[in-house]
Amino acid sequence: MPHSSMQFVPGKIVRNEAHGEIFYRLEVSVPEPMEFVPGQFAMISGWPGTDPLLPRPLAIFHSRSVPKGKHTVEFVYKVVGRGTALLSGMHPGDQLAMTMPLGRGFDLGKGGRTYWLVGGGVGFSSVFPAAAALAWRKADFEIFLGSRTRRHLPPKELTPVGSAPGRVHLCTEDGTAGYFGRVTDAVRERIKSLPIASGSKLTILACGPREMLKDLALAAEACGAEMQAALENHMACGFGVCWGCVVALRDGEGTAHRRVCREGPVFDAREVVW
Amino acid sequence: MKPDLSVSLGPLRVKNPVMSASGTFGYGLEFSPFFDISRLGAIVVKGLSLEPSKGNPPGRIVETASGMLNAIGLQNIGVERFVADVVPRLEDAGATFVANIYGRTPEEYEEVARRVSSVRSLAAIEVNASCPNVKEGGMAFGATPEGVSGLTARVRQSTDKPVWVKLSPNVSDIGTIASAAAGAGADAVSLINTIVGMAVDHRTRRPLLSNVTGGLSGPAIKPIALRMVWEVSRRVSIPVIGIGGIQTAADALEFLLVGASAVQVGTANFRNPMACIEILEGIETFLREERLTGISEYRGTLSP
Repeated sequence: MPHSSMQFVPGKIVRNEAHGEIFYRLEVSVPEPMEFVPGQFAMISGWPGTDPLLPRPLAIFHSRSVPKGKHTVEFVYKVVGRGTALLSGMHPGDQLAMTMPLGRGFDLGKGGRTYWLVGGGVGFSSVFPAAAALAWRKADFEIFLGSRTRRHLPPKELTPVGSAPGRVHLCTEDGTAGYFGRVTDAVRERIKSLPIASGSKLTILACGPREMLKDLALAAEACGAEMQAALENHMACGFGVCWGCVVALRDGEGTAHRRVCREGPVFDAREVVW
Repeated sequence: MKPDLSVSLGPLRVKNPVMSASGTFGYGLEFSPFFDISRLGAIVVKGLSLEPSKGNPPGRIVETASGMLNAIGLQNIGVERFVADVVPRLEDAGATFVANIYGRTPEEYEEVARRVSSVRSLAAIEVNASCPNVKEGGMAFGATPEGVSGLTARVRQSTDKPVWVKLSPNVSDIGTIASAAAGAGADAVSLINTIVGMAVDHRTRRPLLSNVTGGLSGPAIKPIALRMVWEVSRRVSIPVIGIGGIQTAADALEFLLVGASAVQVGTANFRNPMACIEILEGIETFLREERLTGISEYRGTLSP
């Protein structure tokens, strides 16, 4: 899939509004069309002052380009700290500074495989763009969404087009919607229902809390499925120069430090030292 | 008339006073997608050691009020790969570049200095006598006048390149340390490196950095850096390169005003990859507006 080379661009907020109880949807107009690979992200800043100092990494949710019209990029985020709190208070017309698209996104391959997209918490913002791409090419996929409670599930209107009934599995830890339990348990049960050896045709694309990814990686490995995990980490720059966001990856007999922002954020789950 | 932005740093003349600070600009090429890196006065590359280094375990950065703590631990590709793979590309890009070097022992510093000196296009060597995040080397030599003097002399006699010594602020008398570097043959001193700090989580009761302590950078440290640059500029006769919390052209001009000959921009690069260029253009605009012919007419003109 083609994607734009990374740029530092000014953006103007078109909308920045609450969706559901904990998520915000941010749409920003940008000077040029921006193509991205699902799983890629942007570094965003624009609140006044220097506290917090660093931009915030947000997965790119959607980009739109109208011939001779406005080009926009969309993000879905959750307020987790001071930076995202300040961002949530910004208004249409306010200026943002954005570096994007960044990192290595999901490898959606060429076809002939079954894809399970797993989003834990706000992690859906990283896997939904992959679902949209898979729906577009009519690939076989299912979506598993996990959250603590019903109110923390992604808003319905954000769920990608092409998600036929039965394709989306909702999971809540308190049982207020869908499967009663962790999304990882729902995935494990779904694996058990598969015909023997069909795991080898399965690719899991996942983003969410580290514990969820670790558990999924074990389940994927046990059934012979591939898994690509989109990792998160604190990062200062987002484009590979600060070396602050490294994670340990297997490297021959030992391990090596790889940058989430550059070699990731999507890694082969088998290579990650969980 | 276009103001003269060039400055002299001892034997080296650079086209303008804006440089990238080591550790915040990779090996320089990472910024090529954003702007023409040959426009910078110099690129000071990420600290190089004799062997490649894996750096500290994850848990390397924490944001703090108007700043950040880092404990990267000098992860780098090693001097050999730098010379073989990176230098030709920096040359192709037309960049002026400086090698920041460190070692675990004085002998290692000397060896790294010798190897990078074989690069004809290398503008200078910056000796890291101040990294707070590695157990050996770095600050171990930078904490005392004797340590700095010995290390400077060693590197000085192993290279024909200009030698800059990057100083730590984590000392009781930076003026004495700077004098020791000057006395041992440094062509310039650059300061400040990061200030040692730490951050903890009161709920989990754990440190936020795997290294426990890290180096504080960003606008939070600018007043300290400015004071130290001012103090050292009055104490030594070699050029001083000002570093610490520079985000804007005004910040950079403040360092020049108190006596710095040039500046290095660090953490600002993370926030805004165009920071160096915006600062450079801002300085030029300022000189023009003030009808100054060049940097030299402004540098060190702080009124009493």
